[in-house]
Amino acid sequence: MNNASAGPSSKSETSLKRKRGVFQKDLQHMMYGFGDDPNPLPETVALMEDIVVEYVTDMVHKAQDIASKRGKLLTEDFLFLIRKDLPKLNRCTELLSMNEELKQARKAFDVDEEKLAQGD
Amino acid sequence: MDQPPLTSSEPPSTTTTPPPPIAVPASPEQAPQQSPSQPQPQQPPSTTATSTSSSLSQPPSPLNPNPSPKPPNSPISPQSSQPQPQNPILRTPFNRPWAPNPSPFSHFSSIPNHSTAPSSSSITHSPRPGGMAIGVPAPHPTTSFSSLTPPSFSTTNPQVRQSISGMMGSLGSGSSLRPSGVAASLPQRPLQSSLRSPTGANNQSTAPQNFQEHGHPRLPSVGSPGAPAPTTLQSPQSHNQPWLSSGSQGKPPLPPSFRPPMNPQLMQQRPHLPPSQQPAMSASTQQPQTSSSLQSQPSSLAQQPQDHYSLPPSRVPQTLTHQQQMARNRGLGNQRPFTPSMGPPSSVAPPAAVEPTESCNRIISKRSIQEIVAQIDPTERLDPEVEDILIDVADEFVESVTTFACSLAKHRKSNTLESKDILLHLEKNWNMSLPGFGGDEIKCYKKPFGNDVHRERLAAIKRSIAAAAETPNTKSSGGQVGGGAKAHPVKAPGLVIGSPNPKAREAT
Repeated sequence: MNNASAGPSSKSETSLKRKRGVFQKDLQHMMYGFGDDPNPLPETVALMEDIVVEYVTDMVHKAQDIASKRGKLLTEDFLFLIRKDLPKLNRCTELLSMNEELKQARKAFDVDEEKLAQGD
Repeated sequence: MDQPPLTSSEPPSTTTTPPPPIAVPASPEQAPQQSPSQPQPQQPPSTTATSTSSSLSQPPSPLNPNPSPKPPNSPISPQSSQPQPQNPILRTPFNRPWAPNPSPFSHFSSIPNHSTAPSSSSITHSPRPGGMAIGVPAPHPTTSFSSLTPPSFSTTNPQVRQSISGMMGSLGSGSSLRPSGVAASLPQRPLQSSLRSPTGANNQSTAPQNFQEHGHPRLPSVGSPGAPAPTTLQSPQSHNQPWLSSGSQGKPPLPPSFRPPMNPQLMQQRPHLPPSQQPAMSASTQQPQTSSSLQSQPSSLAQQPQDHYSLPPSRVPQTLTHQQQMARNRGLGNQRPFTPSMGPPSSVAPPAAVEPTESCNRIISKRSIQEIVAQIDPTERLDPEVEDILIDVADEFVESVTTFACSLAKHRKSNTLESKDILLHLEKNWNMSLPGFGGDEIKCYKKPFGNDVHRERLAAIKRSIAAAAETPNTKSSGGQVGGGAKAHPVKAPGLVIGSPNPKAREAT
């Protein structure tokens, strides 16, 4: 792997420098929603962010391992990984279907607008 | 071990009467009290050290789970300890010394003399803290001991007292600990525990002040543990009660300054002791083991101070001055106030996993185990043996992880053990990821490495499958095609199993 694209580390396989505070703002609100203080401690937020980043990294690595056979990384790979966790799986499928609906609604909206424009 | 034989003999004598330090008078008196367990202690203190030591050895051994805190005295204790590792009953004599408060200590002081050198102020020998520790609170150090050790001791032998007080203090800075310590005497040291209980009782009586404050609340707890240990601690049980009542009798001669430091420790140790007592009780049957372990303890003098922590507080003080012990006990933190008998014996006769340095203190204490269990289920209770095992498991885990992490650090060409070494080991070998310590690096993803040969084979398989699927399509419709189609798919799996060459042949 090329180092140049990677990051500060010199070795090719070295990890990239992680930027702290990527999820800070969003995490604070989410923690509040789950019962924490409206202004949680920065250390708590940092720890939560560490947990989240580690979870996402681990999941992506596993998905890549599964998808390497196929060559492409698809959404189904991630769904396959959380197949055992039903709440998560259902939530994911629900979000994905909602996403599809929104796409179609937008498309229909655009089409309607065009029709209206043509009609007028 | 040093389990100071002196102590064993002394307690019996001391309990009987507060007479001058010479243990001789006391022993006969105590003998009847504890008769069954300690025929030897009854021997007049004047009897040569060997005789007394033998008697002392019994009680002291249980008392001094930690290797003789006082090496000099060890000569006596080892002798005594060896011959009589199994005199749990001897412990009872300790009760007596404690009760009278001032006098008991004098007895103790005398006891050490007996073991070390009869008559002469051998007390200076500081009877092997093991047995003596029971209750000879040194005038200075142990606060609890101070209360326990009657002022008379001070006159006799400062050393002895120290040892005794140390033991007493360690036993349970406060009589409270004693009973637990004695009873708990860890399975490995049933002898010690028995000794402890009497000493504990004595301590309580001697240090009424301490007991009154801390002892009373603790006494009940202590007493109960004693009860469960019927085998060896029978005597202690009875003794516990006496000291409970006698706790308020005298005023601890030791300066109050010593007490405060001890009390907190004792208090903490106390809860641990009770549970430990039970295991100790059960371990009474393991006396031979404990005795051997006890004996080995004297050899591990160095570990004594550490062992103190592991052993019931009472036993710990045996070594060096109480002050030092107290400092150590405190320093170690009440984290390990209670190292079940397994601690000392393990250190002494360490199983493969235990190391000598470990004997003195365990990484975790029974109290912590109970707290952790409470987090899982508030109503859950664990058996004492289970707690002991868990403590051992924790110790071994920490040790193995630290060792491997150190080797990783060394591999890194560094002299400092850093968190990343431990994190790597836990992550790779234990599958434990600890968020929050990972640092700023993101783990790189390593593409699954595939061999060239392997890739070629996979490609060949794909080709053959594709070819097999195509051939049926190309063929004319009909049964043949169906048959052909079926045949090809069937062949395809076979191709997969076979080597590339055969597959190639079949494909073509």
